[in-house]
Amino acid sequence: MQLDQRTVGDVVIVTIRGEITLNKGGDVVLKDKVRSLVQQGYKKALIDLGDVPYVDSAGLGELTQAYVSMKNGGGTLKLVRVTKRLKDLLAITKLVTVFESYDTEAAALASFGAAGV
Amino acid sequence: MVAPEGVAPRLLVTDVLGRRFIALDKAVLTLGRRSESDVRVADAGVSRQHAEIHVKDSVCLIRDCGSKLGTYVNGERRAEHVLTHGDHIRLGENTDTSIVFLLGDDAPSQENSAIAAATELRHMAGLLEGLRALGSSRVLEDVLALVLDAAIDVTGAERGFIMLANDQQRLEFKLARVRGRVTPAGATFDTSRKIPETVYATGKAAFVDDLLDDAMSVQHAGTVALGIRHVLCTPLMLVQFVERREERAEPRIIGVLYLDSREKGTLRSAATRGALDMLSSEAAVAIENARLYREALERAKLEQELKVAAAIQQSLLPPGGRKGEFFTAAGSSVPCRAVGGDFFDYVDLPGGQFGFILGDVAGKGSPAALLAAAVLGMFSAEAGYQAHAASVLARLNHGLFRRRVEARFVTTFYAMLAPDGTLTYTNGGHNPPVLVTRDGIRRLETGGLVLGLFEGATFEEETVRLTPGDYVMAFSDGVTEAMNESGDEYGDDRLLAALAGHAGASPQGLLEAVVADVRGFCGHALAHDDVTAVIVRYDG
Repeated sequence: MQLDQRTVGDVVIVTIRGEITLNKGGDVVLKDKVRSLVQQGYKKALIDLGDVPYVDSAGLGELTQAYVSMKNGGGTLKLVRVTKRLKDLLAITKLVTVFESYDTEAAALASFGAAGV
Repeated sequence: MVAPEGVAPRLLVTDVLGRRFIALDKAVLTLGRRSESDVRVADAGVSRQHAEIHVKDSVCLIRDCGSKLGTYVNGERRAEHVLTHGDHIRLGENTDTSIVFLLGDDAPSQENSAIAAATELRHMAGLLEGLRALGSSRVLEDVLALVLDAAIDVTGAERGFIMLANDQQRLEFKLARVRGRVTPAGATFDTSRKIPETVYATGKAAFVDDLLDDAMSVQHAGTVALGIRHVLCTPLMLVQFVERREERAEPRIIGVLYLDSREKGTLRSAATRGALDMLSSEAAVAIENARLYREALERAKLEQELKVAAAIQQSLLPPGGRKGEFFTAAGSSVPCRAVGGDFFDYVDLPGGQFGFILGDVAGKGSPAALLAAAVLGMFSAEAGYQAHAASVLARLNHGLFRRRVEARFVTTFYAMLAPDGTLTYTNGGHNPPVLVTRDGIRRLETGGLVLGLFEGATFEEETVRLTPGDYVMAFSDGVTEAMNESGDEYGDDRLLAALAGHAGASPQGLLEAVVADVRGFCGHALAHDDVTAVIVRYDG
């Protein structure tokens, strides 16, 4: 699993590539990343999941924990380019009611009302 | 002036502590009771400064220093004597210590000692095998003792210790031995870590001629007080043998061997060093093997503990089946590792209803199993006191959130079946169970979020009416997400087909049919998730 980070206006976009699973250690990497974003004071985070073929339950737990960490830090975390598989998983676990997710980055940025877009 | 190796004059000293060689490689060598003596003979009958050997142009002259009881060469008292090969020297009446002057190379040489050491190591390898066969957990300690004893014998040192590097690349004291194959009392030598650490860091052997001259002498005070002045410290180099040539085998330093002595003895001779180099590389292999063996033993112990944990976990789950007046239930849980995060349970409720729960803790193995056990505990404490299915999940969510394990959540399905066929259920983010009725199949999805992540989460419940023969099958995602060797998932469709293919079978029969179908589908692919299912049929 690889993480790339960039900012558009005041929104930090984290692009994840590869599986987010317990076995591949991806869950821990994500946790550390979000923790550092919160510490750096980011309030608007967008996680791009377009290149994530698989998320297991541990990975889903970390995504949710990331959401909670961001929220507790006074910010919001949204998802973009969620794969069909993850959409199903979010639906089953009913976490679809928690995460705001968008099909395109432009739509997601617009929802943040991102400055400088 | 140093004479060529091999023909150097030397003394062979034999006393209660063993045998050692002392090279006559300086102008004046002192013999006596004083701790600073080059040849120290600890006997009340020996004067503090008893005799001296003067070396000049390969001529060695022994001179008595006005000792009380005299110096004897070959049994005759001498004030002065030019030593020749094979001369026996005696200080006073002392007969416990034999000192023989040797010249030339026909005397027992260090090379012979090196061969003896190699032989000893072969014995050691044999012994190691024996210890393994006995299943001794003290293999490492035994090997360390053998290595130290061999090193002390080869070098004539008085004591030695071994330090091994831990996972953090820090040296840890392991074992000390003194001459005579004895493990001294006390955890460590009172000596500075400076020398071992430098040797470990540089990989180069260090020889300290005289601790008193060393810049660190203050730190060696404890050692100097014992009369110990000479130190030889050598790295334990592990040469790794690799099967594939492209992997470069860098020798790895696994620790250091430290030897010290009151007398310079042979710690310094090139032959001794050669023998010690050979010994330390053999020793490194033996130590590493012993260490690997111990790790294997510890792993075996851990596996045993896991087996016990697995047995405990299975005992937390109800026996698979349950037959009530108006229902028949069957359940099973097969973890993919020794223990798993899936759980199910049955409960007889005060209102005459039958309750059943099935869930899945995110993650696998021991952490998930512990949380599953906690959920089962909370469930049995709460289920009897809550009139609504939804409030049971709300309580479980509260309990899990309070005992918050970061990012761990639980998906769960809970249902209550009444004697009149009323089924009330709630689904906390679990993959929807299947309700099979005469009219068809539907999924039970009403409920709320997964448990444990959101404080104050609320749950909805739904009530459905069952007629006799209708059944509910709840299962973990290990069933539908089981994969075959080509990476295809078992999936909902296959599950429904398997159920349809066994219509009319008992809950136990259906359960066995589904589990067999999943196994058949997976073939030789390894299970990667726990497989758990419960089937409850309403009998009317």
